[in-house]
Parts: sequence; C-alpha cells; structure tokens
Amino acid sequence: MPDDAKTVLVVDDDPDAREFLTTVLQDHGFVTATANDGAEAIAMIEQAAPDLVALDITMPEKSGVAVYRRLKQDDHLKSIPVIIITGISDEFEKFISSRRQVPPPEGYISKPVDHQKLVDMVTELLA
Amino acid sequence: MDSQYRHYFEAMPCYLTVQDREFRIVDANQRFRKDFGDFEGRYCYQVYKKRSERCEVCPVARTFRDGERHESEEQIRTLDGDELSVMVQTTPIRDEAGKITTVMEMSTDITHHTNMEKLLRRSQRRYHTLFDEVPCYITIQDPDLNIVDANRAFQENFGNGLGRKCYQAYKHRSEPCALCPVQETLDDGQPHTREEVVTSLDGKHRNVLVTTAPIPDGEGGTTGVMEMSADITDVRELEDRLTQLGLLIGSVSHGLKGLLNGLAGGMYLVDSGFTKGNEERVKKGWATVNRNVARIRSMVSDILYYAKDRVPNWEPLSAPLVAEEVCGLMESRAKDLQVQLITSVDQSAGEFEADAQAVRSLLVNLIENSLDACRLDDKQATPQVVVRLQGLADHIRYEIEDNGIGMDQETQERAFTLFFSSKGTGTGLGLFISDRIAQAHGGTIELESQPGVGTKFVVKLPRVRPTQHEPDSSDLTEKDGPHA
Repeated sequence: MPDDAKTVLVVDDDPDAREFLTTVLQDHGFVTATANDGAEAIAMIEQAAPDLVALDITMPEKSGVAVYRRLKQDDHLKSIPVIIITGISDEFEKFISSRRQVPPPEGYISKPVDHQKLVDMVTELLA
Repeated sequence: MDSQYRHYFEAMPCYLTVQDREFRIVDANQRFRKDFGDFEGRYCYQVYKKRSERCEVCPVARTFRDGERHESEEQIRTLDGDELSVMVQTTPIRDEAGKITTVMEMSTDITHHTNMEKLLRRSQRRYHTLFDEVPCYITIQDPDLNIVDANRAFQENFGNGLGRKCYQAYKHRSEPCALCPVQETLDDGQPHTREEVVTSLDGKHRNVLVTTAPIPDGEGGTTGVMEMSADITDVRELEDRLTQLGLLIGSVSHGLKGLLNGLAGGMYLVDSGFTKGNEERVKKGWATVNRNVARIRSMVSDILYYAKDRVPNWEPLSAPLVAEEVCGLMESRAKDLQVQLITSVDQSAGEFEADAQAVRSLLVNLIENSLDACRLDDKQATPQVVVRLQGLADHIRYEIEDNGIGMDQETQERAFTLFFSSKGTGTGLGLFISDRIAQAHGGTIELESQPGVGTKFVVKLPRVRPTQHEPDSSDLTEKDGPHA
C-alpha cells in the first residue's frame, strides 16, 4: 500500500455491508476504517479525520443523519467528502429536504451497492 | 215548531233531517232539499246512499235503540252526483211521555277536511318510508339526548333505542361523550359533523360519519336534533388495508435492499476471490451469500404469514420437542455467525395446546432477532443466545436471551410495532408477527433489554387454548422468581 494511500471510513451497522465496502475499497488501493454506528463514527472522526466517509443512514444509536450534521457543521471537518449509502431512498429524500444550513452530500449511492460506481465516485472525490 | 226555531232549522249550514223508526224522512232543512231534493215519502238510505235497504250500521237506529246521541263518518252522494264526506250526529226527539218518536240527524260536510287528512296521511307515510329506508342510522333526540324516534336501520343494528340515551345505545357508555355533535347543535342551532366509532348489537365496531341538524320549534329555538350516521366502516377498512399495503411494500423493499446489498457483497467476494485465487475469500463470500439467502427466505415467510389471516390448527404439542426442533433449525445459522446457541430445556415441561407452525415461527423470529443482535455487536468477544424452557402449572415459559447490542428505550417501546425496525435490513414484521401469534394463543411476550448488555424475551403460552379457557392476568402472573 503506498504511503499516500487515502483513508475511507465505512459507517454501517450491518457487518456484511462493512465487509463488502471495505474489501472493494482495499482492492482498489484505499485504506479503510470501520464504525458500526453513528456514535462510534463521530468519535473516530474526531480522533483521526479520514479522507472520505461512506455513511449509512439507518443505524441504531446515532443515525447517519446525525453524523452528517455533526460533520458539516464543524469548520475543521466539513471539508471531508461524504457519500451517503442507503437502502431507503425516501428517507434520504426527507433528509435532503429537511437539512438546514448544511450543504448536500458529495455523493449518494443506493443499496444494493454497485461496487464499480462506488470505486469511481471515491476515486473522483479524492483525486 | 216555533217559526223562529223553524227559521234556525232551515238556515243551519248542514243537512238536517228528522226520521221515524222506518228511517223515513219526515222533515228536512233547506240545505238538504237543495242538494237532495224533496224528502216526502223517501228513506234516508235511498236519499243519501242510493240504497234500496237500510244500512247495516246506522247511527239513527242506534239512537232509537238506546236513546243516546251517536255519531259516525259517512260517504253520501248528492243529486248532482258529488261524493261528500259527512260527519253524522244523531239525537232523539221525545214526546211528552218521554218516548222516542223520531231522531234528528245532522250531517256536516267534512269533505275538504277529509281530503286534507288523506293527503297528510299519505305524506306522513311517504316520509316515514323514506326515514325507514334511508341507508344510514337516523335518530331524533330531545334536548336531554333521549332517542325519541329511530329509523329501521338504527333499530336493526342498535336495538330499539326509544327512551334510551344516544350514548347508551351507540357507545354503551353511562356518561355523555366529551365531544357531542348533538349537544353542539342544541347549543348553537347549527348542523355539525364528526367521525365516531360506535358498537352495534353484535359487538362490532362501526366507523360512522355523524351529521346533525336542528329541529326548529317555530319560535326561533330548537326542540330536538336529528342525527344521521352514515356507516363508513368498509371505506375505512379499505383505506387501512391500502395504507398497510403501502407500508408493507415500503418496509419490504427497504429490508430487501439491505439483503440484496449483502448478496452483492457476497458475490463480490466470490468473484474477486476466484480472480485472485484466494480460496479463503471465496469461502467467506459464499457464506455471506448463504446467510443472506436464508434471511430473504425468512422475510418471505413473514410476509406470507402477515398477508393472510390463518385459522390456528390446534393440537397438543410437546414443549421440549418444539424448543429442540427450533434450536436445531437455528444451529447452523448461529454457527455461521460464530454465536454460541445454548439450550436449557426442562424435559418435564409437558404439553400445551397450540398451532405448531405458528409457535415455531414465533420462536424462530425471536431467535433470529437475538442472533442479529449478536451479529451487529462487534465488541462482544463471546456472543451467545440462550434458549430456556420451563413448564409451569398453567403455562409454559420460553426465554430467549442474548448478549448482543441491546435496545434503547425507544426501540424497546416500539419493538412489536408493525413495520418498525432499527436495523438497515429489517422489515419490522418479525417481532410484530411473534407478538400476534402469542396473543392468538392467549399468551404474552415480555421484553427486557439494555443497550450494550443484551436482550431477553419471555414468552408465556397457556397450556389450554383460549377458546376453552380465557386466560386472565392471574394465569399469566409470574409464579417463579425473576430469571437470571
């Protein structure tokens, strides 16, 4: 792995989904970290900011929406690109229409994830 | 007759005759002569009714017989052929010895009045028919909410409500409803509309749209209220079904997307494993595919269970055997997830009456939920699910306890709610169905949980089915101490 490899934080409560996304990203030269709920994700980002966050919406504890708000309202963290990865498109729509003083996410991929689309989007956002 | 009285007699605005015992007219006034001609030698029944014999029922005959006054309503025909309704009144005329010599008969023309009465009766009949046949429940209520009239639909569905209070007949309440459209109309004299749920004689709940209208007293006030209730139960049921169907589709597609994502992940691992010659990765991927296929299978079975109302197939079941069967089914799933499935079964727990397939689904759903709670917890070094069985006097008790992620307060409160799921791959059907099955068996499911510690489900099912033995709270009261 090259020294300048970018780190992607994968946040999803489903272990199968985490395994899938991290394997795809590692196969394409990215370093991965995982968090299985929103609270854990925020703690990890505050400790060591990743280069990109792949974020699920529906999770127990803190949801993806709370993580996204926290990130985008923090001057030090708001530049980290976020790709929302979710199965609920209308929940995502609601999230988009209800967001206040936060910009739209840099990317959105619906489940089931097309792995090539994920790799292309991450590569482009981190170029 | 004095000439003055003769004058009065002649001028009376009715037909006056004096008749002997043969009903022969011996005197008549001017009005009579004008409409019926000369009377001499003619008989009452000939003149008035154009009959050849006396009438069967005759007030003159009765007065001759008993000396009393009599009256009756008759139909007569004038010389011009006009049919008239007359009110006939008779009075005896006596001689000095008190003997009845003749009877005076006075016939007053009431044709107009009779015609009006007929019209009124016809109109009343028509309105009553309409009142009765309208396909909704109508009551007329007095200012104290007493039902003073009700149509047929009301009486068929809510009994003869006359004299009862509206809230007694419709809602089986002893007090007036807090928000009452009839009371509102009594207060302001305006129509009001509300949707209500009422209970018919057969105990069924009906959704009705109630509309009230004031009954004016003619002096600007209100004497009562007409309440019309249209039954909209079918419409509401259809709406509920459509809403539920919409929620089901939304919930199922959400869960399905999560499971398809799992399958996509498994397929990626298998494909890339082959390309890289990494056998370990292929195995891992294939296990993921298998796991997600099993979850889809279980989701489909939940949907099918939800989609139709099953009639329970009651049979005596061995409680330990059911526990062992279900644990046997779940063993490979637990192994795959590296969760230890421990069973602690009281072999002498005995039998209970239940639907075998339903009880298996109930337990499988709870164990799957517990396995999922362990799968989602990556901090637990020794994830485990314990299934316990105890036989008690009136009921059997299954316990499913895990040391997985646990549930927060909101998730616990909504755990058995239809379409609620805290998981990205849940449909919100599993625990709802388990709860419904427990209820159908007269049993209960209790839930204890703590985030980061784990969850325990306690299922209590009575030994005897509820149709023979209605369970009450004492049957299901804990007889043993709290379980560790």
